[in-house]
Amino acid sequence: MIKTVTLPLAAALLAIAVAAPQAAQEDPWWDPDEGRTFPAQLEYANANGTLRLLLEDGPMETEGHPFFTSKGPDGRACVTCHQPADAMSLSIESIQRQWERRGAKDPLFAASDGSNCPSLPQGERASHSLLLDHGLIRIARPWPGKDYEGKPLKPDFTIEVVRDPSTCNLDKRYGLNSDEPHISVFRRPRPVANFKYIEAMGFAYDPKAGMPLTVDPETGKPVSGNLMADGRVLSLTAQMRDAASAHLGFLDELDAKDMERILDFERRIYVAQQRDAKGGDVDAAGALGGPMTLMTSRAGLLGSDGGMPVWAEFEAWEKMSDAEKAKLPKDVLEFRESVARGARAFREKTFLISDTSGINTPIGFGNPVRNSCVFCHNMSHMGMDVAPGQVDLGTTNMPFADPAPHLPLFRITCTGKPHPHYGRTILTHDPGYALTTGRCSDVGRITLQTMRGLSARAPYFSNGSAKDLRAVVDYYDRRYTIGYTEQEKTDLVNLMRAL
Amino acid sequence: MLRAIILGASAFATTATATAQEINFIACPVYRDTNNGRKSGCWLTSDPASGTRYDVTAAPTKADWNKAILVEGFAAPDEGNPCGATVMQPVRVSILELPCTRHMLPAEGYEGRRFSLPTRNVRPLYEDRKRPEKPYAKGRFTIPFDFDKTFITYQISDYYLDATINYALDIQPALVEITGHAQTTPRTISGETITEPAEIAQERADVVRRALIMRGVPEKNIRITAARPGAAPYVMEPFDGLKSPLERRVDIRITPQ
Ligand code: HEC
Ligand code: HEC
Repeated sequence: MIKTVTLPLAAALLAIAVAAPQAAQEDPWWDPDEGRTFPAQLEYANANGTLRLLLEDGPMETEGHPFFTSKGPDGRACVTCHQPADAMSLSIESIQRQWERRGAKDPLFAASDGSNCPSLPQGERASHSLLLDHGLIRIARPWPGKDYEGKPLKPDFTIEVVRDPSTCNLDKRYGLNSDEPHISVFRRPRPVANFKYIEAMGFAYDPKAGMPLTVDPETGKPVSGNLMADGRVLSLTAQMRDAASAHLGFLDELDAKDMERILDFERRIYVAQQRDAKGGDVDAAGALGGPMTLMTSRAGLLGSDGGMPVWAEFEAWEKMSDAEKAKLPKDVLEFRESVARGARAFREKTFLISDTSGINTPIGFGNPVRNSCVFCHNMSHMGMDVAPGQVDLGTTNMPFADPAPHLPLFRITCTGKPHPHYGRTILTHDPGYALTTGRCSDVGRITLQTMRGLSARAPYFSNGSAKDLRAVVDYYDRRYTIGYTEQEKTDLVNLMRAL
Repeated sequence: MLRAIILGASAFATTATATAQEINFIACPVYRDTNNGRKSGCWLTSDPASGTRYDVTAAPTKADWNKAILVEGFAAPDEGNPCGATVMQPVRVSILELPCTRHMLPAEGYEGRRFSLPTRNVRPLYEDRKRPEKPYAKGRFTIPFDFDKTFITYQISDYYLDATINYALDIQPALVEITGHAQTTPRTISGETITEPAEIAQERADVVRRALIMRGVPEKNIRITAARPGAAPYVMEPFDGLKSPLERRVDIRITPQ
């Protein structure tokens, strides 16, 4: 059924067999400079079961490895915000645990972006409330910024700060009216794993732009356009430079050797939930969940055109014989059947998608258009968008965004053509892709994330507005007036916790 | 012979007969939510001149329920009645910047159409594409546009753009000559006089030029040439026998060097 296997599976399995199982008592938190060995297979418990990470081609020493080694003044490393136990993102649980352990002294809470604003008193909990209560890192973007070629943007909109409980957008030194104007938005760390999929190009075009895929000026080659919430970098190397200066606080670029080693790690690491607390192994009884399928499958295929249908990993659980069912404990059976139904609902339960820039405009799908979750989350095995996935789901824009009194609120005024759905003025917590393109029609468009390892990395959405998976489903139910039944909601949640 | 290389022109037979009258009008669209799987909804709209309600769902560009549309097409009464209105096919819809009150109808027993992938779709990179054989022929291509738009629309303009670019890439070195066209003669439709600004011809040519370069066609081999007024499109097939969209296009000639 999976025609997409590319790796010799036996070799991959061998690599795992030789790895010692990770000692469960080891601290799940990875501090910089610990010098642990990153094994070929690593597992961590979370509230829904067990997460598994696979490192292709076997174990790696992290001693001196630039992803794991502190750099810059704050003693931070990449791993500080991209934790293995949290599916290479950062869960709110881990954040709160580090605060309890070390308070503001933990490098995670560095003033630059681990606090609401660097000018606040750093010892106080309140100064780190966005990170501690919502899992959000401050992202400061120069405004107006530059395009991919380094030319200044000529935005067709203006930005005003309506209110800012973080204080940073109104700050004399860091704010929008400072000498070096920056806009501060607050975002969740995106998982650093499964990049084969994130970098894959399924088509030569970006239908949302009506143009071929963006060409990276550094290499002259097209790119998938699926990095970062606002698509501000085109490649993993450009991302590293951005991270080094923004998160690690050192302006010297990482040297070429460091970048190569980070890239090597990023391209070898796969992550997914492996075992469910209720349902057991997600690759049991013929199912194909877990990271092994990810590591060994071809990336970038559209589930509806040549690839495995999205989440058909769980098809076997739909087709269990009565004899097989009879062998399973009731809980396990119920869970597996629910996951299989959830996968089907994800693909087949349709609803009206409306006023969603990137989908209803400008492509020509129509406004509204009836479709399902898989319309946007369309890549086999990964559930991201095969095309560059900048879509305005409404998570950051009024009137669709959930109330978020803790976040800054901006008023965008379109100075050229009005926005295709919102008109001339837009209230937003995060202009998203518009900060990269300078176009008001892109306000609130956020790059779709991958959907693996979700159980390990709540809260969800770029601004952390969904505190758990049920809240994700409830958001969609409100946003698109879907009318899911309780059973459908449970099935979707069970599906997502098994990914 | 040329068209056979490029497009297999007979693949898209139109249902219009030679005698059928092309119907053009501007009106607000109504969405009928025929809940019959993905993309199954219907787009209906009434010609203000006759009051006849048409089903314009077959247009590559679907409507926006907040905006008026320009409809250009043929009535196709033999195409059944899946949506509760006379089917138009072939038909083109262009979204205009004229506000409409949004309105949605329930299915009312109509089934709409089950979605099937349109014949004009860009193939993924993971599928092998057939390369042209030597000796390379001159290639002529035409890319259609919606009214007053330079956007490469999904599953029509992109299909022809992709064919153009692939041919240009496959037979390099080759000279690529691009000519943009615009509908600059005012037309009065449903009481609105509409016309495209002359500059849009150049903008369309620029879009195609940029796309060619982005896909790797050498810039030095691309020229933009001026339109000859009244010239016919290089290829008629993208218009499915419709006359009124003919001037909204880009023509491309690719000459092997
Ligand atoms: C202070 C926390 C922090 C640190 C330290 C950090 N990151 Fe991140 N990382 C983030 C956040 C937040 C995002 C999402 C940013 C956005 O969407 O705008 C992110 C996104 C990324 C992404 C994009 C993933 C995707 O799919 O879009 C990559 C790759 C990445 N980081 C790699 C690194 C590397 C390499 C380093 C070390 C050089 C690093 N990060 C250090 C917080 C951090
Ligand atoms: C119209 C396109 C679209 C549809 C349809 C859609 N999504 Fe999304 N999804 C997105 C976008 C865009 C994001 C990123 C939004 C953000 O972070 O603010 C996203 C994010 C998510 C995330 C968060 C992942 C993370 O790492 O935080 C989950 C989970 C998710 N979607 C599940 C679903 C489910 C379940 C459905 C069906 C009910 C669905 N999506 C339908 C576009 C879509």
